[in-house]
Amino acid sequence: MNIEIDGLTRCFGSVEAVAGVDLKAGPGVFGLLGPNGAGKTSLLRMMATAVPPSSGRLRLLGRDPGGYGPRREIRRRLGYLPQNPGHYPGFTVAEYVEYVALLKEVPPARIRAAVATAIERVELGDRRKSRMRTLSGGMLRRAGIAQAIVNEPELLLLDEPTAGLDPEQRVAFRTLLRDLGQRATVVVSTHLVEDVAAACAQVALMDRGRIVFHGTPDGLAARGAGQHAGDTPIERGYSAVLAQARS
Amino acid sequence: MTGPRLLRLYAAGRRVPLALLSTAVCATGLRIALLRHWDAYGALQLPLIFEAAAAVSVTATAASPFGEPERVAGRLLPYLRAAVTVALTAAAVGLLTAAGTGGHLSGGTLDVLRNVAGITGIGLLCAAVLGGGLSWTGPTGYLVAAVYALYTQWHPPVLATPWLWPARPPHDLGGALCAGLLFGCGLAAVTVRGARDRIGDPAAA
Repeated sequence: MNIEIDGLTRCFGSVEAVAGVDLKAGPGVFGLLGPNGAGKTSLLRMMATAVPPSSGRLRLLGRDPGGYGPRREIRRRLGYLPQNPGHYPGFTVAEYVEYVALLKEVPPARIRAAVATAIERVELGDRRKSRMRTLSGGMLRRAGIAQAIVNEPELLLLDEPTAGLDPEQRVAFRTLLRDLGQRATVVVSTHLVEDVAAACAQVALMDRGRIVFHGTPDGLAARGAGQHAGDTPIERGYSAVLAQARS
Repeated sequence: MTGPRLLRLYAAGRRVPLALLSTAVCATGLRIALLRHWDAYGALQLPLIFEAAAAVSVTATAASPFGEPERVAGRLLPYLRAAVTVALTAAAVGLLTAAGTGGHLSGGTLDVLRNVAGITGIGLLCAAVLGGGLSWTGPTGYLVAAVYALYTQWHPPVLATPWLWPARPPHDLGGALCAGLLFGCGLAAVTVRGARDRIGDPAAA
């Protein structure tokens, strides 16, 4: 298992953003669904080693990120795209991706090819020499995905990766996700249930810091039988599970 | 060649060339100011203003435009932060000292070294706690307090604490220790944690 989580919590002041989550995930694409404020981003940030848990047990790639040495090794093998990734506007797309590759200690002989491959995979090959300041929102998002996958991560964490992408790009991105999920554990946090239905083998639905459903997208869709809120079966399942959790 | 390439990209992302340029502008300003004859107030206070401005230029480079993807990208980042901060501080001291060479720079090189290092330390601590965008607040506040402390040299009661080292003689050990301690703490904070991304952002790992 690349992700093993037991009773994980994270508090910000008096707010318990993640309230005792248990989760295990191996290779494949894992969807993390939930309404705003459900705790998806906080959970993802803990998995990215960006913030430590308040309590509970977290193991990533078979290691405990609480220790400096294991955390360093996890980070080298991790890819992370937060909700709002920053960038230096004066960098070209290639420089931006190369910078992250160098920080992640991609072997020097492989850097050029790794950068080119990552940029091609997000279909920005023709913009690789464009300055970041000249890119549209969707292109910036794709550049962010490129930096996350440049080290061919074994654990890839993506927070709202399809925000700002047009429908054609979203379809291409789902294909990329399925491809990445062949070798790595890919966790995708999103509001867009159709992305989960199309690309994820497993899905967890969070509400108020807890996981209220864990199973397959089909399993989630099945929970929506007889419901009317939502246009697709999985949306109806999403609404039904949330309504049940809140009742 | 990956080391120099990484250093170059890091420096570009942190706007280090701009920081060097603004430090050079501070040094030029100091040089021009020293061409004039100043009374005792001006001779002490003017260099301090340019030193504080140079320190702010250094601390501004602590701000990262990359956010969490950079923070969790590996083990090299702390070394880059420390190396660039120390190099820029040394460059600021060197440029300001050079600007004062042959002029009537009150306090000389020791004064420049102590003032720039100490005020840079304050700015680095502000960057770690408040965020890179607000790193100028500490040095600016300290500048006001230090200018007042210099003023009290002629208008007692004299503010004589070593924490207000610009009002102490250049070879004063207490002032040097305070400035050195603040620089060391600021450098350590920025090396380990980096500048806080924004107010309300939880501490980085």
